[in-house]
Amino acid sequence: MAQRLPAVDAVTIGVGLTGSLAAFEMVQSGQKVVGLERGAPRDTVPDFQSPAIHDELRFSIRKAMMQDNVKVAVTFRNNFNETALPIRRWASFLPGQGLGGSFVHWNGQSFRAQVADFVLRSHVIQRYGQKFLDACGPELTIQDWGVTYDELEPYYDRFEYLCGVSGKAGNIKGQIQAGGNPFEAPRSREYPNPPLKETYFGAIFRKGAESLGYHPYPQPSSNLSRPYTNPLGIKLEQCVFCGFCERYACEHYAKASPQTIILPVLVKNPNYELRTSCEVLRINLDSTGKKATGVTYVDGAGREFEQPAEIVFITAFPLNNVRTLLLSGIGKPYDPRSGEGVVGRNYSYQTTGGPTVFMDESININPFMSSGAPGTMIDDFSGDNFDHSNMNPPFIGGQYVGSIMTGGRPIEFHPTPPGTPPWGLEWKRAVARHYNHAILIQQHGTSMSSRLNYLDLDPTYKDAWGQPLLRMTFDFPENDIRMSQYIADKVVEIGRAMGGKIVVRGGTKRPYTTTVYQSTHNCGGAVMGDDPKTSAVNRYMQCWDVPNVFSLGGSSFPQNITYNYTITIGALTYWALDAIKNKYLKSPGPLVQA
Amino acid sequence: MTFHRLLLAGAALLLAPLGVITLVQARSAGHQPDAKHGAVIVAQGTAAGAPPCAQCHAFNGVSDASGAFPRLAGQSAYYLAGQLRDFASGVRASAIMSPIAKALSPDDIADVTAYFAGVNAPFLPLKAADPALIKRGEELAKIGSAERRIQNCDNCHGPDGSGEPPVIPYLAGQYAHYIAFTLQMWRQGFRKNSPDAMGVIANKLDDQEIATVAAYYQQVQSTIEMVESQGKD
Repeated sequence: MAQRLPAVDAVTIGVGLTGSLAAFEMVQSGQKVVGLERGAPRDTVPDFQSPAIHDELRFSIRKAMMQDNVKVAVTFRNNFNETALPIRRWASFLPGQGLGGSFVHWNGQSFRAQVADFVLRSHVIQRYGQKFLDACGPELTIQDWGVTYDELEPYYDRFEYLCGVSGKAGNIKGQIQAGGNPFEAPRSREYPNPPLKETYFGAIFRKGAESLGYHPYPQPSSNLSRPYTNPLGIKLEQCVFCGFCERYACEHYAKASPQTIILPVLVKNPNYELRTSCEVLRINLDSTGKKATGVTYVDGAGREFEQPAEIVFITAFPLNNVRTLLLSGIGKPYDPRSGEGVVGRNYSYQTTGGPTVFMDESININPFMSSGAPGTMIDDFSGDNFDHSNMNPPFIGGQYVGSIMTGGRPIEFHPTPPGTPPWGLEWKRAVARHYNHAILIQQHGTSMSSRLNYLDLDPTYKDAWGQPLLRMTFDFPENDIRMSQYIADKVVEIGRAMGGKIVVRGGTKRPYTTTVYQSTHNCGGAVMGDDPKTSAVNRYMQCWDVPNVFSLGGSSFPQNITYNYTITIGALTYWALDAIKNKYLKSPGPLVQA
Repeated sequence: MTFHRLLLAGAALLLAPLGVITLVQARSAGHQPDAKHGAVIVAQGTAAGAPPCAQCHAFNGVSDASGAFPRLAGQSAYYLAGQLRDFASGVRASAIMSPIAKALSPDDIADVTAYFAGVNAPFLPLKAADPALIKRGEELAKIGSAERRIQNCDNCHGPDGSGEPPVIPYLAGQYAHYIAFTLQMWRQGFRKNSPDAMGVIANKLDDQEIATVAAYYQQVQSTIEMVESQGKD
């Protein structure tokens, strides 16, 4: 029997990016908030300090910072005729666990989405016509977000200044800025910090890209280029290019994370209470099924509690947001056969993978000197920055292209050209020959939602608490493959222009596999929109069916954008919290009438 | 040999043949650092007026037990050369070192730093500091301080302060007096190199914390001596 605790104003399920941001905004408004985090507490000191944090075997190979999939896994299949099996080793994507969530082990790659991204369906139809869209794939279920870039711009700005993003503006209020990304959506002002120093591999990429007429720019980064005090008064430091960023936590207060930009202030607020090692089992609803009464969770000692709350924020990893809705019976689950239902609908992913460029032995890359977002990039092929009308076969979407090498760590990084034996003396020789003379180029881009791809509860496999696992049914739509393969050809040309002796072509292929790392930008499944028939949450990420539940984060993306999604998630969270503070708290209820 | 030292040694062996450790230093084209010529400068000074380094730093780079002058033996040549250039330019202010550094040519700097980098010298017997002070310093050096938001020193200076050459100097066995003095130089703005890393960190430390880390690192020498003697066989 669960012990019933004193009621609070709000509870967050998860204390990562969205959980700490939402809680901070709420306590500022005098609301009493409890943060429930399933993982352990952790902080820069002592948990993230060297040499222990630079343990590649522990963190990169054994995934020490990731969701404990002995307790809670995700099952996977490529299509709904197959039987899904649990993923027992994370590889393709890496959901974080522990205080701060995935916003601790992220790389700090800090992009905004583009204007067209938020109105994708309308934009594509307006520019290319319905017929063209149909030819890209009748299964595509892309849609508009219900919020526009212009509406989000102030919140992007606010979140970038919270993180201390280091970059160079390319477009301030419509004025193109030299040195920045000329394709970026207009921003109201410059980044809070200048870009990181360009790496040698970045400089080589810049030269190659420029020689082909493209527009290189420094990757915006939440690994800071200089000491910075954020608007909450928290001091961050300068990135030292230690080469252990993705899959690791920053030892140096130099990467934006809940621990470095929000939590030091939040945990001191008397209205906030953090509880770690607390696994939320479900959101409880009243007898009408239209109002949440709080959550039920199990603490680290196995005791069950009921925490009553006026507002429930689902602030977990996107996949877990969707699972929480399904386990709680909030919203109608999606059925791919009828196309009806919204929870689990429009799960999408990210297209990644680019070429490896093998250089001459006289070029020393020193890849180990790197940050998490050290890239030199081009946006010439991002989103809809290039004309798709003559593409044959037709496709929509695009990818950014850039040289982003986040380290040269010894276990994972040994590029060898095709034809090299996979082990033995010849392999060792090839690694020694190429380790310091190979450049990786990243293609990273859109993935369109499809009526065939979705999330639901697995009928067979259960977690450590006896609840069904989330089941993922996914394969890349043919549209995404066409897009990625088109751009792969262009990127090979860049690799050659960089002076590559051997350029190994990249590009995404089918079927999608979960055994190779691709991206942790899983998104959708509880998407936002204007129509309750095609979205689980409204434009403020408020559940249509249960208005005192907000599902914040990447689960609200109707399809995936070109870019790494963290900054957009931060902006969306601020956007939703402003509406909650200014409208909902005064008059609780639906912020948008269905 | 400690585990970390083993790792470092392994990494160095692995990377050296790959041409990884090739950092360009400002010296005249084609000049190969000549440690023998460096030794001559250390012993005799230069015709241009630089006094012998040995006057303060001793011929083997261990300086003396006063701790007024840093230990240079085995320090990275890249790091030492950078400091000499900063003394010459005034980025690192020192009434003693600035004129000396100005009197050294780029080739002299390359030679003299190559010499000191190659010296394997013993540690002088020193009076032991208060064990409680050392313990507190060790905590700061290896763990840091959560409440004061200070990261540990070993993040950059390597396990047990053994250095991350070529860029970052060792602290292990360095004189406490010198460590404390140079941290104060950053705090007071006389040392302006590394303003965004060491400048920031030095300003986070109070006098007591500086005293503890300085006392701690001075006595971290037995491990290094042991490793170096083992490395010979």
